[in-house]
Amino acid sequence: MIYLDSISKNYNLGGKQMKVLNSVHLQIKQGEFAVIMGPSGSGKSTLMNILGCLDRPTSGDYWLNNKVVSSYEEKELANVRNRSFGFVFQQFHLLPRLTAFQNVALPMIYAGLPKDERSKRAIAALKKVGLADHINYFPNELSGGQKQRVAIARSIVNQPQIILADEPTGSLDTTTSRQIMDLFSMLHGEGTTIILVTHEMWISKYADKKIFVRDGIVTGSEYKGEIST
Amino acid sequence: MSIFENIKMALSSIFTHKLRSSLTIIGIIIGVGSVIAVVAVGKSGEAMLKSQFVGEKNTIELYYNPSEEELQANPNSLLEASFTFQDIRTIENISEVQRIVASSSERTKVSYKGKSTNGLITGVSDIYMEVNQLKVSSGRMLLSRDFFAGNRTAVVSESFRDELFDNDEMMGKIIYIESQPVEIVGVLKEEKNIFAFDSNAIYLPLKTWQSIFSSTAISEISIQAETPENLRLAGEKATNILNRIHNKEDAYQVMNMEEIADGVAKVTNIMTIIIGSIAGISLFVGGIGVMNIMLVSVTERTREIGIRMSLGATREQILTQFLIESIVLTLFGGLIGILFGTGGAMIFSYVAGWPSLISLPVIIGGILFSMLIGTIFGIMPARKAARMDPIQALGYG
Ligand SMILES: Nc1ncnc2c1ncn2[C@@H]1O[C@H](COP(=O)(O)OP(=O)(O)OP(=O)(O)O)[C@@H](O)[C@H]1O
Ligand SMILES: [Mg+2]
Repeated sequence: MIYLDSISKNYNLGGKQMKVLNSVHLQIKQGEFAVIMGPSGSGKSTLMNILGCLDRPTSGDYWLNNKVVSSYEEKELANVRNRSFGFVFQQFHLLPRLTAFQNVALPMIYAGLPKDERSKRAIAALKKVGLADHINYFPNELSGGQKQRVAIARSIVNQPQIILADEPTGSLDTTTSRQIMDLFSMLHGEGTTIILVTHEMWISKYADKKIFVRDGIVTGSEYKGEIST
Repeated sequence: MSIFENIKMALSSIFTHKLRSSLTIIGIIIGVGSVIAVVAVGKSGEAMLKSQFVGEKNTIELYYNPSEEELQANPNSLLEASFTFQDIRTIENISEVQRIVASSSERTKVSYKGKSTNGLITGVSDIYMEVNQLKVSSGRMLLSRDFFAGNRTAVVSESFRDELFDNDEMMGKIIYIESQPVEIVGVLKEEKNIFAFDSNAIYLPLKTWQSIFSSTAISEISIQAETPENLRLAGEKATNILNRIHNKEDAYQVMNMEEIADGVAKVTNIMTIIIGSIAGISLFVGGIGVMNIMLVSVTERTREIGIRMSLGATREQILTQFLIESIVLTLFGGLIGILFGTGGAMIFSYVAGWPSLISLPVIIGGILFSMLIGTIFGIMPARKAARMDPIQALGYG
């Protein structure tokens, strides 16, 4: 489903080209739960942003469902972000002036869904993440774990194929992290492809597949029970 | 995303920063308010002038204005009788003329039982009272039999009660004008208009007036016509005939509406330019203020923009969101400005005694104009928001 063909990303720093991703090849299949691991600054977030069509590669082709999305126009990319991906960030990234319900409804507004459908789906998603009692809370009235649940509800309302989570438990304590990981596990169980960046070994145990990144290069990947290549 | 969603979002963000938003739109309020006020005052001034010279009854005054040479040859010509009964009959025959109002006035002594005061005695033709909207508060109006027979009956203003009658009843009393008895049959209702000065006025039939003052003079004639256009034609024809009959060159004249309108237009134009430039400056400054606040808002909400983009907002949708926000902001300014502008104009008209006009096109114009300001000054900040890079906006890199 996802295939990165020799993806590179360069940043121009004071006239010097800095290679953040260097000819990355990567394949992720429908329904997989993949974790991306690697030291700080190795290019994990950069890779996630390219996967989520938030950023464009400097060179290489990004195939998504047999289409080269790296050559899409802005408008098509926005549509891909809206329909195919759900994002979960370390800093939650909820809109502070909107309630949990309104935050969750936002992707559906951009998808052009009618109001009734939006509110039905938003409530269902909030129930699913265990926040049925917090529908009209504002982000600043919620705990970190609850905020991340709202963000997860928001990421699933448009029924995306893939959820991209960049260190989703990075700001949470272990107990809360476990609850959040159980949620991802449940979504994975329902057939959603999940790609998650983490530093923690225990989290990688949730995944089918581990991808190791170092200095902008995918140094290896292994399936559950397999020995690193 | 629907326009309704956008407006809801704009309102929420405007109301989040109430103080900032209200300070921002002050310039727009002043600008739109003064434009609305100028236009409204101009319109009601125009209406006032029209009603003053033509009146609701569609009448226009003919007057006698002798030339310089004539005045030098006969310095008394101004004081002499301007019109005769013969003139009235002739003018009555002009097809556009509907009715004629004639009157003569003289200021003289009026007395009752040894007391006396000065009064303006006006002899009037039968429809004078109706055309000039004079009414009685007690007693009766002059009736056609008074006019027909030249009865010695008069309708007088309230002010005589104090000056001649020690605040006693004056109905039915006989007063003396030029030592001739006249019976009071009605008392005039006082005018509310602050420009009206009708103190010590006595109205009696024109025939009676002529007999009291032993004169055949008619000092004023107004003609009435069906339409303003007919009125203009009637005025022209009447003055031509009068000048011919009396062998005068342009001594008989009619108020020229266009000349007056031009004169008024000059004054209003100067006013329009002055207030228009005040309005223009405040709208420009207000617009810059809105642009500035929108730029601040876009910067403050960089992360929000990034989040929205990550959720699938297109650049156009971001642009629309911020553009609608600035349009809603200036629309608020416009609406408040319209409120102040029409309110101010209404107060002005009320104090000046002008008819007050609220014109729908002007209000709609004000609304559209304020929205235009929001568009013009909102486009730059909105484009800045739409052009953001989602990654940078989210706070990475
Ligand atoms: N916009 C940018 N301009 C220049 N350099 C950048 C930019 N974004 C990222 N980088 C650089 O690219 C490298 C990879 O960054 P990235 O955020 O992908 O790392 P990461 O693996 O996610 O690290 P972490 O585990 O700390 O989140 C870093 O060296 C970073 O400094
Ligand atoms: Mg990172």
